[in-house]
Amino acid sequence: MADLSNETQTTTPDGADIIQVNHLTVGYGSNIVLKDLNFSVKRGEIFVILGGSGCGKSSLLKNMIGLYDPPTGQVFIEGKDIVTADGAERQEILTRFGVMYQQGALFGSMNLLENVRLFLEEYTDLTPDEMSLIARCKLDLVGLLPFESFMPSEISGGMQKRAAIARAMALDPDILFLDEPSAGLDPITSAELDQTILSISRNLGITFVVVTHELPSIFTIADRVIMLDKDSKGIIAEGKPQWLRDHSDIPLVRQFFNRGAHAATVPTTPSSPAH
Amino acid sequence: MSETTLPVDVADSVVAAADLQANGALARLILSGHFNAHTLGNGLWTSTRTAQTEWLGDTGNGKTLSVDLAAVSYLDGAGIAFLIDLQHAQEAAGGKLTLLNLDKRYDPLLAQYQPINNLFPAPNTDHHTSKSTLIRLGQGTESLINDARNQMVFVGQLASALGWAARNPKQVRWNDFVNVAVEAGVAALPIVSLVAFLIGVILAFQSAIGLKQFGAETFVANLVSLSIFRELGPLMTAILFAGRSSAAFAAEIGTMTVNNEVDALVTGGIDPIRFLVLPRLLAGILVAPILSLFSDLIGIFSASLTMLAYQVPFVTFYEAVLKTIHVNDIMSGLTKSLLFGLIVAGVGCLRGMQTGTGAAAVGLSATRAVVTSLILIVMVDGIFAYISYKTGF
Repeated sequence: MADLSNETQTTTPDGADIIQVNHLTVGYGSNIVLKDLNFSVKRGEIFVILGGSGCGKSSLLKNMIGLYDPPTGQVFIEGKDIVTADGAERQEILTRFGVMYQQGALFGSMNLLENVRLFLEEYTDLTPDEMSLIARCKLDLVGLLPFESFMPSEISGGMQKRAAIARAMALDPDILFLDEPSAGLDPITSAELDQTILSISRNLGITFVVVTHELPSIFTIADRVIMLDKDSKGIIAEGKPQWLRDHSDIPLVRQFFNRGAHAATVPTTPSSPAH
Repeated sequence: MSETTLPVDVADSVVAAADLQANGALARLILSGHFNAHTLGNGLWTSTRTAQTEWLGDTGNGKTLSVDLAAVSYLDGAGIAFLIDLQHAQEAAGGKLTLLNLDKRYDPLLAQYQPINNLFPAPNTDHHTSKSTLIRLGQGTESLINDARNQMVFVGQLASALGWAARNPKQVRWNDFVNVAVEAGVAALPIVSLVAFLIGVILAFQSAIGLKQFGAETFVANLVSLSIFRELGPLMTAILFAGRSSAAFAAEIGTMTVNNEVDALVTGGIDPIRFLVLPRLLAGILVAPILSLFSDLIGIFSASLTMLAYQVPFVTFYEAVLKTIHVNDIMSGLTKSLLFGLIVAGVGCLRGMQTGTGAAAVGLSATRAVVTSLILIVMVDGIFAYISYKTGF
């Protein structure tokens, strides 16, 4: 194509809030996992939700994408509250974002191309050839074009996650939610996935909300993070990961970023025998 | 040329339009508005491509299409795919495409798909290539032979496991056995009762209608009781048992296979046949005859109720039943039920163990379990009928 530049355009967060979470409570009945959460995600940024196991990261994500109804609070996606929206309004909000689930959640009875095409078939009136071309473009973006006719069971876990990202991008959403994208992947595959996320974010300007506790991924991709804590049931830190690692005065945050063990579980070092 | 609007609640200003102005070997396509999957999906993409094809004619050699994007306010992935499609069509016809006034922010997006030919695979690139009928016939036959072999191996494994259970009764997982027996047996009582009751009513009515013509309503009890004890009771119970429990066993063990739980047993040195299959098999052997006997009694009871409508009292009906039915008839039905229970439980477990990968494989296993169970039940029933005819059992 004429006059194409190969240099990579860098899209940076423009400062406007694309997601706003107000006074959100996460949990069921009397089992409250997180309470009174307030934070916002800026358009174009890679926003990471982190915290220890069982602190409610994935539950928070499921509240943000409307899978669970929170006991209290609001989640505004591009100005519309997904908690109270229903019918056509909710359907319209759902087309504004894509989700990659922890295990990929590809439909096992469809090949990769059909998986990516599915949402185009449901939401648009494009012809089959037009939908296939768009789906191939998405698979090409995540490096899986040669595998378009493979079934999910025929590809590796890392490839399944990349295919799930391609499927989540089928309708060109403004936001992508990723639940534990690096979980269970080897370091090389995990790093490749991080580069895919960075490339999509910087080139397409898509906003990412990523749930993870993989430190290398956090330092590679995150523009901003919030850290959740099981004991205080809330956000204990917010900011750039490097800054939090080096300057946070909260011991738990420093422990997390420096891979420190919990004080109570640190084994005492046996004293060296005298020589 | 054409214009389209978004089908969803989006501002009225969000529209897309395309206008192709051709002048001999040169054409100018003026695009304006918001290009995404929705605006393109209302025929805009198709009509633009049709106009391009008509203009290109039989040969597009030397023809240049200039796409003017000055009035394009937004272009997402679908919009980029649209431009790529135009470029591909142009180049395939020997022509050329140039983009004019494209916002610089879209350059990296377009650059990612170069060369675009990769996006248009040649026919038959599917690695699941189509096969000739002969190959498919051969593969189908091989699959059938393998399946028969697997079933025979499984029967051997079951026999071995039953022998082991007889030698080591304390090591059998009796808790699992009880749980399965409760789920497959006690929980099945309502549906077995309902079906047996209705079968008894239907059978009594149908028999009475025929026999009444000869004034022989009193013989309904003989006919119905023999049919139920020897044939319908065991058969209907087995079919219900297959639909409920064979599918459940296949789905349960299939899910465990998909989740590598069966692998965990194997690598932990635990025989999955003894751990998973044996309790279900023993429960099937125990539960099927009991359910069958229960079904027989309900069927006879409902038939006796029905015959009240023909002025045949309870006492008369039951006396006729007792005169007709011998221990041999009951034992014949129960023996069949025991075999049916063995088949249904065994097939359910076998199909579960054979499950492939993914959620669809579990569904397929459950279906195969029910279908195989039903086929084997009918086959065994036929063999039994022949043996009964020859031996009088």
